[in-house]
Amino acid sequence: MSDTITLSVDGRPVAVSPGSTILEACAASGVKVPTLCHLSEVCSNASCGICVVEVEGARGLVRSCAQQAREGMKVTTASARVLESRRTVVELLLASHPEDCLSCLRLGSCELNQVAEQVGVRKRAYPPVRAPRKLDAISAAIVRDNDKCILCGRCVEVCSEVQGVSAIDYAGRGLGSRVATFGDRSLADSVCVSCGQCTVVCPTGALTERDETDEVLALLRDPDKVVIVETAPAIRASLGEALGMDPGALVTGRMAAALRRLGFARVFDTQFAADLTIMEEGNELLARIAGKAKGKLPMLTSCSPGWISFVETFYPELLPHVSSCKSPQQMFGAVAKSWWAEKEGIDPEKLVVVSIMPCTAKKAEAKRPEMRDAWLWWKGKGRAAEPFQDVDYALSTRELARMIRRVGLDFARLPEESFDDPLGASTGAATIFAATGGVMEAAVRTAYELVTGEALPGIELKAVRGFQGLKSATLALAGKELTVGVAHTLKNARAVLDGIAAGTSPYTFVEIMTCPGGCVGGGGQPVLPDWDKRLARAEAIYHEDRKLHFRKSHENPAVAALYKDFLGEPLGHLSHELLHTEYKRKEVR
Amino acid sequence: MDSRASVFDVEAAAERLRGKPGALLGLLEEIQDSDPARYLSEENLKRAAAALAVPPSQVWSVATFYGFFNLQPQGRRTITVCRGTACHTRGSLGLLKDAASLLGCEGYDPNSEGAFTTADREYTIRTVACFGQCALAPVVMIDDEIYSRMTPGRLVAVLSGAKKRGAKKAAHVPRRRYEGEAAPSVEGARR
Repeated sequence: MSDTITLSVDGRPVAVSPGSTILEACAASGVKVPTLCHLSEVCSNASCGICVVEVEGARGLVRSCAQQAREGMKVTTASARVLESRRTVVELLLASHPEDCLSCLRLGSCELNQVAEQVGVRKRAYPPVRAPRKLDAISAAIVRDNDKCILCGRCVEVCSEVQGVSAIDYAGRGLGSRVATFGDRSLADSVCVSCGQCTVVCPTGALTERDETDEVLALLRDPDKVVIVETAPAIRASLGEALGMDPGALVTGRMAAALRRLGFARVFDTQFAADLTIMEEGNELLARIAGKAKGKLPMLTSCSPGWISFVETFYPELLPHVSSCKSPQQMFGAVAKSWWAEKEGIDPEKLVVVSIMPCTAKKAEAKRPEMRDAWLWWKGKGRAAEPFQDVDYALSTRELARMIRRVGLDFARLPEESFDDPLGASTGAATIFAATGGVMEAAVRTAYELVTGEALPGIELKAVRGFQGLKSATLALAGKELTVGVAHTLKNARAVLDGIAAGTSPYTFVEIMTCPGGCVGGGGQPVLPDWDKRLARAEAIYHEDRKLHFRKSHENPAVAALYKDFLGEPLGHLSHELLHTEYKRKEVR
Repeated sequence: MDSRASVFDVEAAAERLRGKPGALLGLLEEIQDSDPARYLSEENLKRAAAALAVPPSQVWSVATFYGFFNLQPQGRRTITVCRGTACHTRGSLGLLKDAASLLGCEGYDPNSEGAFTTADREYTIRTVACFGQCALAPVVMIDDEIYSRMTPGRLVAVLSGAKKRGAKKAAHVPRRRYEGEAAPSVEGARR
């Protein structure tokens, strides 16, 4: 049996591996067949009908994304019939699509727009036939505009097959077909965990993040406010890409420069809080192992808010396994609005904390009603004030790119600048939070040293790196064998949780990240990711880690100063007030 | 006012159907048939989802796809007018409008594909794409009885009779036979 098959594409022979689709064979022969529904690794449901080609002997046009290439096949990719058919299909899709491209968030990154251009649409060929739909803009994270939906099904597929959430599915039929939640409710009233993976695969503006750039720009221009910013680890490896650079462009210094030019009073780093998280979470784990802390083993990480919503919705009985540590975003807000504001003499009511996140779920997390511990702290000091959230706005990578373009910064030409002290100081351990396995590796770098008094040999924990869905490593720690696990995507998280529920879980500690590849593949990242782009972003992250002088969270001098000055010790009284939280069962009506 | 004589045991039915092809469809059918208002309440849809371990969004997908699943409580009596081509050319739109006005379906859009139930939940009026009885067009179904070659006058008679008799079933109203025509076998047949 041969390991390749040969077919002809437009008269030229091309060899591909058996099982390849005609679409892949065309790509191998240098022909980019347009598609709107197909997305490698996500879905190939042949719903859009744009990728048609002619195959000799076939009765009609063939959808190249769904048909396998066969030995000796003769494919014609651009006959008059093919080109006309593709154009007609796109014209039909456009019949009921709103003509408001200029005010659409996806202007410039819209695949429907690109494909319409590619197939040569030059007029509105058909009148609209679909009744207008209701805009779903209730969720804190995601806005759904079904008028712009072309029913490609990518969102449905990613929600069920990648995330195992199934918040949405097709509903109705014929002209009434739509993507809907149970009961046609808002995403906010569904099992949606706000992960935003639908927003990165949507080919149009039907699913987008809730854009909050106007609100933040207005605050930045308000002389009465002090607006500070924290940037998540993953942003430095994806902001460049969002601004037209190659995937994996590492832009830490330029990002700091851009944020300063946007008018942020201080440019801080969520990585500071990531190091703080490791101090708290590492100690929490050791306390749980020693039986000195409430909470069960295996302990599950709590950095990823989509995952928190997931476990609160689908596995509430396992909540005692989840670390009580807030996510770095929220630890940052609580520390900035308490300790730092007091130290700087800034009225906490005038202080605005903006975070830049690779994430949509972070928007929902920032709005959680219990996330106002700095306000409670001030209240405890006798300062009665209107309640305020620890983090005011969580913007996605895409929104930051939009703000940078809005004010006209020539990003590529910005100088490399640094973060401000003290909340901008961080280590390589915090940087790698951005990739799946990074939190685990950072925790092990610190915990190993706390327990053994020796540095982790080789410092890098390679076993938990990479994009395998479930990874594990076994460590010898103080005479004990400790097995740790790492899962990314909620479907893999489900497997871990089912193991815990069944009592068969071999782990003591598990890192769980909501999105494919971890935060580098987050729902707030540049749209249309694939594993190559996620890999490029992750490589940039590991490269940054290797460059840094401090690579273990407990070496962060600013974190050490925070404990000395203010918090006392990890898991201490103030830590519990400001850095830890509780979870509760999420009821979906 | 939704007085349920008995609550259908969704879980028991799911147990019986689990693993069989079309289990979800079968379960939804059984739930609807057992419901006094012949519809699938959201509560029951959720129970079906939980009982078969299917995501609720998928249950919603199936329930909204099939026209015979009702998502609203149905009237005590259902009038179904065929809107297929043959029936249309023989005046089914007029019949639909007549039925709607006679039964007091204010606000009903005869061009919509949706069903309409009167505020007192006495009547539901709905359309069907085709009964498959095109030779006998136009066709109207009242509850489970199919009336062929319906005329506006006969429709009024049947519906007025039904209204007067209240709970009783509409009596069969004979229509004028065409010369030499055999008695149609569908008349009054159970669906």
